[in-house]
Amino acid sequence: MYNKQILSENNARSVWAHGEKYGYQFQVTINYYRGLPLCCVDQITMVIDGEQVPYDEMYIQHRGREYHYPDILKDDFPTDFYWLFGEPLTVVVKNGKGIEQGIHHCKLTLGTRRSYTPTMVSVCEKDLTFA
Amino acid sequence: MKTNNDIKLGVSLYSYQDNYYFHRLDVEGCIAAAAGAGAEGIEIFSDTMIPEWPYVSDAWIDKWNAWMERYAVNPVCLDHFSDRAMWHDKQLSDEQMFERGVMYIKLAARMGCKAIRVLHEEHIGAKSFSGYKLTDYDTIARLLPIAAEYDVMLALEVHTRDGVGAPYQQKYIELAEKTGIPYVGLQQDFSTFSYCISTADIKGAVYEGANEDLLMFIREKQREAYFAGEEFDYEEIREKVEAMKPNEHDQQLLRFVVGGHGPRVPFKQLYKDLADNAAKLVYCHGKFYDIDENGQVDDMDYPKIFQILKDNGYKGYISSEFEGNRRMNQIGWCDEVEYVRKHQALMRSLLNY
Repeated sequence: MYNKQILSENNARSVWAHGEKYGYQFQVTINYYRGLPLCCVDQITMVIDGEQVPYDEMYIQHRGREYHYPDILKDDFPTDFYWLFGEPLTVVVKNGKGIEQGIHHCKLTLGTRRSYTPTMVSVCEKDLTFA
Repeated sequence: MKTNNDIKLGVSLYSYQDNYYFHRLDVEGCIAAAAGAGAEGIEIFSDTMIPEWPYVSDAWIDKWNAWMERYAVNPVCLDHFSDRAMWHDKQLSDEQMFERGVMYIKLAARMGCKAIRVLHEEHIGAKSFSGYKLTDYDTIARLLPIAAEYDVMLALEVHTRDGVGAPYQQKYIELAEKTGIPYVGLQQDFSTFSYCISTADIKGAVYEGANEDLLMFIREKQREAYFAGEEFDYEEIREKVEAMKPNEHDQQLLRFVVGGHGPRVPFKQLYKDLADNAAKLVYCHGKFYDIDENGQVDDMDYPKIFQILKDNGYKGYISSEFEGNRRMNQIGWCDEVEYVRKHQALMRSLLNY
């Protein structure tokens, strides 16, 4: 569901500290008809200009909290942080250098586990302008 | 608008999902849309439209109550989900599923909802097809006294092609009778009565690359059979369909036409089962995918369904549940507000309101 929309066109930009870029971010919305706990995320894979973003560099920001992406996949991650329907989830990539301002070709793969339908994997490919 | 009617009309806010997802309407906006369409009842998904879920504050409950008052509507149903597969390599235990069930019951009671829609094991058929065990009979039996304590009905939604008469659904009515705790019952989703491919499915599939002529041919044959009082038999048209060389997109819909989720019970039996169970049903979902130029639901016999419910003593809510949005929204904006308005008008006319 929402395969064309899961990769948001909002808030794609480099992230900065003390006048220096240390990473970049993009936002994702859910590929389902309702919200799910973050622990039901099965996969967020981003490929930018043909190169896959290392999972280790990815951090998930949700309602004022930040989680290292590999942690939300672990089998003891809490079940009560809900990623609501239509709510943007910010993925921050801490690569130490940001992203070159301008248009980049992005391919997002999002997998979520649901109660009564098999895990759904959605792919959204589009050009995003990073600020 | 509140009434004293035996059959009352509601809206599941799920019907406005694209408006919510794309931030055109917030929760209050969805409630206003439902009230504006003439509904008197509201159904809501906690994990969709209650931002504080699962720990909902009294302040949010106060806001909810204020909306019910402002728009003169009643809270009807909170939707329960069986998210057992919480982790990649580990699932919730039966005990944890039970605890989550209690969580939904308590929230429903705080919101004034007299029912939770329970995603029970037999929701789609005798077996769930995700491979995950949903909320099963034993867990429901454990939830039953809690539901009674909080005065919240466990409404088990029947989406299946063999309807509410199937023994594996009837066992829940027997559970209520056996225990003497009348807090579990069946909820009929009208999709059980879909007699042909919906134009919503066809529009979506054609956009993806399906052959419209082929799908419309099948749909017409299904309609001919239904209105002739016969059961549609795909074998009679198989040769013609195969000669039209269905592509992968056609095949996707065809698989549902031919097999679907489990066996199809003849319509005569389905309607008899609906009549026999009407007075016992605890809730109904007025499912619809598309509305035709005559204001009718394009793939279900609403006049017949409503006549049966009226004649056989159904008392309770029928809530609009629009699901054409996710079939058609890749084509362009799907006007859910307009769909629900038409659907409420159709239901009112069928009830002579």
